[in-house]
Amino acid sequence: MTGLILKDFLILRKTLRSYLLMLAIYVAVAFLGYWSASFVGGFMMVMVSMLPMNVFAYDKQAKWDVYGLSLPVGRTKTVAARYLAVLIMFAASAVLTTVVSVALNIAGRMEESLGEYLLACTVCAVLAMLVNAMLLPFLYKFGPERARMMFFGVMGVIVLLIVAFLLPLGGLEWLKSLDAPTLEQIAAVPVAAVIAGVVLLVLSFLLSRHFYGAKDV
Amino acid sequence: MTNCIELNGLVKEYKTFTLGPVDLKVPGGSILGLIGENGAGKTTLIKSMLGITRPTAGAVKLLGTDPDRAKEDIGIVLDDCFFSEYLRVRDVETVLCRVFKAWDKGLYRDYLDKFGLSGAKNIKELSRGMRMKLSLAAALAHRPRLLLLDEATAGLDPVVREEILDEFLAFVSDEDHAILISSHITSDLEKVADYIAYLHQGKLLLCDEKDRLLDSYGRLVCTREELEQVDRGYLVSVRKSQYSTEALIRRKADFKRLYPKLAVEPVTLDELMVFIVKGERA
Repeated sequence: MTGLILKDFLILRKTLRSYLLMLAIYVAVAFLGYWSASFVGGFMMVMVSMLPMNVFAYDKQAKWDVYGLSLPVGRTKTVAARYLAVLIMFAASAVLTTVVSVALNIAGRMEESLGEYLLACTVCAVLAMLVNAMLLPFLYKFGPERARMMFFGVMGVIVLLIVAFLLPLGGLEWLKSLDAPTLEQIAAVPVAAVIAGVVLLVLSFLLSRHFYGAKDV
Repeated sequence: MTNCIELNGLVKEYKTFTLGPVDLKVPGGSILGLIGENGAGKTTLIKSMLGITRPTAGAVKLLGTDPDRAKEDIGIVLDDCFFSEYLRVRDVETVLCRVFKAWDKGLYRDYLDKFGLSGAKNIKELSRGMRMKLSLAAALAHRPRLLLLDEATAGLDPVVREEILDEFLAFVSDEDHAILISSHITSDLEKVADYIAYLHQGKLLLCDEKDRLLDSYGRLVCTREELEQVDRGYLVSVRKSQYSTEALIRRKADFKRLYPKLAVEPVTLDELMVFIVKGERA
C-alpha cells in the first residue's frame, strides 16, 4: 500500500514543486505587507483540494487502473492507499499553513489574532476535505472528466436547494437574531468540524470502495 | 508437470461482444502463444484471467490457486506502458519494490542495464520500444513464476526482440514457470511457443501444440480443376484469386499420401489465421 501512496506523490512531484514555488511567492508578498495572511491560507486550501483530481487525471492518462488491478494489492487497499495519500496531502498543507501563520504572526504581518486565523484555517481545511470526501466517490464511479462535471452539477443543485429553502425565511437575516456564540461554542467548532470530516470521509471511503470493487476496466 | 494456467469455461460478456467459453491449460515449463485478429478477445482474456475485468462465468486457476493469491508470482506486460509519464525510470522501482515482497533491486538494475535504460530518465522521454523494455524489466524483477504478456514485443526492433525471446526461453527452462504471450508477430511465436491458441471473434478456434498444429495443417497450391477432385473432408478453407487457388488442408500427412502429385506447402501461423478468417469454408 505504501508503494501506491508513494506513486501518487511521485506523479504529483512537478505539480507540488510549482505549488510550493507559488506559496513561497505568496508568503513573501504577505511578509512585505501587500497581501493579507489569510490569502495564503486560502491559497493552500484551494491548491490542495485540486490535487486528488490531478492524481485521478494522471492515472487515467497512463491507464494505470488496468495495471494497478493486476498488482497484488487488492481493490480495498488500493482505495485505502488513495484516501491515505489525500489525508497526507491535507495534513501536510495544514502543517505548512500553521508554520507560515506562526511566522507571519511573529513578524507582525497578521491583522487577526493567530488563534482566530488558525480557527478559520481549520474550518476551511475541513470544508475542503469535505468537498474532496464528496468528490472522491464520483471520481471512482465516473472517472476524472465526467466526475468533475457531475460533481459541480450536483453541488450546483445543492446550492440552489439551499437558496430555495432560505428564500422564504428572508435569506440569512434570521442569523442576526441569534445570540453571539460563547467561547466554548467557538472552541467546539474545530472539534465538531474534524468529527464531521472524519465521519464523511469514512462514508466516502465505503462508497468509493464499493464503486471500485464493481469496476470493470 | 503442474498446470500454471487452467481456464474452465471462462466467459466474459459485453453488450456487443462475448468472449468464450474458453477452456485452456498451460503446463509448467512452456510458452503459450495467443493469436487472433484485432478485437478477437486476446486482451479481454488476459484481463479476465487476472480479475481486472470480472468474468461472467467460468473458473480461473493461476499457479494452482485463485488469481488474487497468485498475483505476487505473476509478471504482466500489457499492450502499453502503464507508468505515468511524470515518473522516472527509477521511480518504478520505488513504487513496485513496496508492492512485491520478492522485488529484487539488483535484478531490476541488471535489466535496466541490459535494455539500455537509465534510471534518471523521465518515462515521457522514452520511445515506445523503450517503454516496453521498462515494462518487461518491471514484470521480471520480482522473479515471477508466470508471465502474462500482451503484445510485449510490439514496437521493438528485431535485435531486441531476439534478446527478449531468449529471455523468455531462459525463463521457461524452469519447469515451474510458464508464459502466455499474445502477439501479432507470429514469427516470434513460431520461434518460442510450445502451444498455440487461436481466438477468433471471442471463440477459441484452435488450441494445440505448435508443432502438431503446423505439421497437421498444410497449404495446398493447385488449379481449380485439381481442387474439385480433392476430398472435401481434408479442406478447411479455400482462397481463390484470378491467378491461383490455395486451400488450407487438415491431416497433411494423409493428404500427401492420397494425393502425391499435388503440391502441399508448410503453413505458417499467419497463413493459418488468414485462411480461417478470410478463406471460404470448404
